[in-house]
Amino acid sequence: MGISKAISKSMKDSSWIRAMFEEGEKMKKVHGPENILDFTLGNPDVEPPEQLKQELVRLVTSDTPGMHRYMTNSGYEDVRAQIAGVHASRTGLKFTKDHIVMTVGSAGGMNVVLKSLLDPGNEVIVLSPFFVEFKFYIENHGGIMKLVETTEDFHLDIRKIEQAITRRTKAIIVNSPNNPTGVVYTEEELKELARLLNGRREKGQRIFFLADEAYRKILYNGTTLPDVFNIYDDTITITSHSKDLALPGERIGYIAASPRITNLRPLMDAMIFSNRILGFINAPALMQRLVGKLQGISVDIREYQKKRDTLYAILIEAGFSVVKPMGAFYIFPRSPIPDDVAFVRELQKHKILAVPGVGFGTPGYFRLAYCIPMDVIERSRQYFMEMGIKNNRR
Amino acid sequence: MIVSRQIQKLIADQEGWTRRMFEEGLKIKKLYGEDNVYDFSLGNPDTEPPEELQKMLVEAISNPVRGMHRYMTNSGYDEVRQDVSGYLSELYGLPFTASHVFMSNGAAGGLNILLKVMLNRGDEVIVPSPFFWEFRNYINNHGGTLKTVRSTDDFQLDIDRVADAITPKTRAVLINSPNNPTGTVYSERSISDLVTLLNRKRSEGQDIYLIADDAYRKLVFDGLQLPNLFRAYDLTCSINSHSKDLALPGERIGYVAISPRLPDADLLMSGLMITQRTLGFVNAPALFQRVVSKFQRTSVDIGEYQRKRDVLYEALMEGGFECVKPQGAFYMFPRSPVADELKFIRALQQEERIMVVPGRGFGKKGHFRIAYCVPMSTIERSVGGFIRMGKRFIKR
Repeated sequence: MGISKAISKSMKDSSWIRAMFEEGEKMKKVHGPENILDFTLGNPDVEPPEQLKQELVRLVTSDTPGMHRYMTNSGYEDVRAQIAGVHASRTGLKFTKDHIVMTVGSAGGMNVVLKSLLDPGNEVIVLSPFFVEFKFYIENHGGIMKLVETTEDFHLDIRKIEQAITRRTKAIIVNSPNNPTGVVYTEEELKELARLLNGRREKGQRIFFLADEAYRKILYNGTTLPDVFNIYDDTITITSHSKDLALPGERIGYIAASPRITNLRPLMDAMIFSNRILGFINAPALMQRLVGKLQGISVDIREYQKKRDTLYAILIEAGFSVVKPMGAFYIFPRSPIPDDVAFVRELQKHKILAVPGVGFGTPGYFRLAYCIPMDVIERSRQYFMEMGIKNNRR
Repeated sequence: MIVSRQIQKLIADQEGWTRRMFEEGLKIKKLYGEDNVYDFSLGNPDTEPPEELQKMLVEAISNPVRGMHRYMTNSGYDEVRQDVSGYLSELYGLPFTASHVFMSNGAAGGLNILLKVMLNRGDEVIVPSPFFWEFRNYINNHGGTLKTVRSTDDFQLDIDRVADAITPKTRAVLINSPNNPTGTVYSERSISDLVTLLNRKRSEGQDIYLIADDAYRKLVFDGLQLPNLFRAYDLTCSINSHSKDLALPGERIGYVAISPRLPDADLLMSGLMITQRTLGFVNAPALFQRVVSKFQRTSVDIGEYQRKRDVLYEALMEGGFECVKPQGAFYMFPRSPVADELKFIRALQQEERIMVVPGRGFGKKGHFRIAYCVPMSTIERSVGGFIRMGKRFIKR
């Protein structure tokens, strides 16, 4: 056998998602990609902002010697200082370059943080429905994922979180705006969570709050993202520029650790070290310089909001039960029949590709990623209506 | 303690001398000024990427194509892998296709995703020593155990020792040629003996992979040809980087090449699709994938590195040092005139303001590594120092 047992198990575990994906690819070949309404992938169809493109041209024509060389594993100092500055003014906390590590996107960042924190057998709480990759990230570094269900409307269920905490709990991952639900957690619920974690802290257990803020700028109707740094001290955010600057293929993001974390230095050293030994070495050089200057801008969020409005209206009209997303570019309706995989297959017959909820630890739902052209969303109306009429009548 | 105990231990293991050396180095730089310190401690080439590459980069960015910064499949762009495989077919004379090439975040990324695919907990990986220290961390990341095997005095493979080190748990042999830290290129003889050994094991029912860290593959001197590993042994994977040949270390771009002769090559590729994703790389940086695909046959000026080697090597000889003449990469690994190389290195730093890395950082005490990927002027100004130190410390 050419590959490790763990990896061949991972291959089997994810094989049905793969099957869906491959079926989709086959359908595209048979019917032509333009005839398939693909809602499966969080790969935004938008282009980076114009200002970014100009800045990129300016950078590569600047003829700065050494701009493609190694730098310190944490990333360029001036870039980290720029990002720290944005954090300091937003939070009022004393962020400096020493609180920032540039990473290979948030996937890289999350692996670096978990590698630095976890000893074998440590537990990490993840709220379901959840981004499946978290399980792999945690297990990569010897940790154990503890899933905790959220409420009916996908918000924090503090009592369930409390019940899930054990002496081995090292961290909780909170992803808001959320993939796959699009939910944004409120300040109140996060404060309640902080009270719970602080209670543990008084008993001598430090539980880190890991905020995956990959979608932090994609918020609708004036929703604001609560400032997690001012809610709980042991907070680390993991941010990506895949979505806000539409650079997913370039793999650029960063870790920001709260200046309020006591005894932070060893943790920062560990993260810089992990960035090196996991093989990232450093975040891609050119992209670091690029995003350093562009912290203030983002792609046009209104476009996403229009898409959300259109898709949400279609689903409601078709009779689906769905929580209205306030951020990210996902929507997570309840499947009209309990078997979400069967329902997704039925959608496929109408050339609509979606991901079943079981892929996010929550069977009975399905996820639609609407970071796609508006006309695809509009063309899906007729099919969702048909599916709704057929399945949602009670 | 909040930090993982394992990471703490790893950091502590290397902290001692690295940190001390680093801090002393900083002090000396402050005292004498950066320009008066000869820093041979880092493998961070001072060269710029080839002119045409820079031109293509500007062009690619000035005429943006829709979707050029988006995700693609985890293995990288099909057309990029196609280009690379065309080059590999030509280079090795085997039918490489896109399905044998996996674009990675440099060699470090490539090695991590490959080891993660291969290793079960407790599996052993044999590495000839002296060796690039990070191999230990990479293997350890994925539950494997590093087994070092001493090389011969001229830093070639000691096949008897390799044979002795093989156990039923041996999963792979990881070699790096041209070598960091010695600059040695393994001879045809070294490789053919190794392959004979591995094939014997194979016939006994144990498949051992040969993983070649080819990060310095194009940096070979004196017209030397590297042995063709892919033709020599079926279970070969090669880890490639464009950090050195195209001088793009900060951009993190390279690839894993899997032998078309490897049974289960498809399975290995599917495994890489998963580890690339789950380890958090997701894909190699998009823009630089496209850029490097057009420069597979190009490299920075190797002649320049060779001239640097010549000047430095001559100086070491004049100073009376014992040193295997490097045939590639940009490292030299002389024997320290004092058994405790830390003592010698400290003297070199304090008296001649020359900074090098102790051999224990590569699993071999009593030596030191010189990374000569620095400007020629730095080398020229430092040779006097090396000669003086050699004459003072080496008894004839």
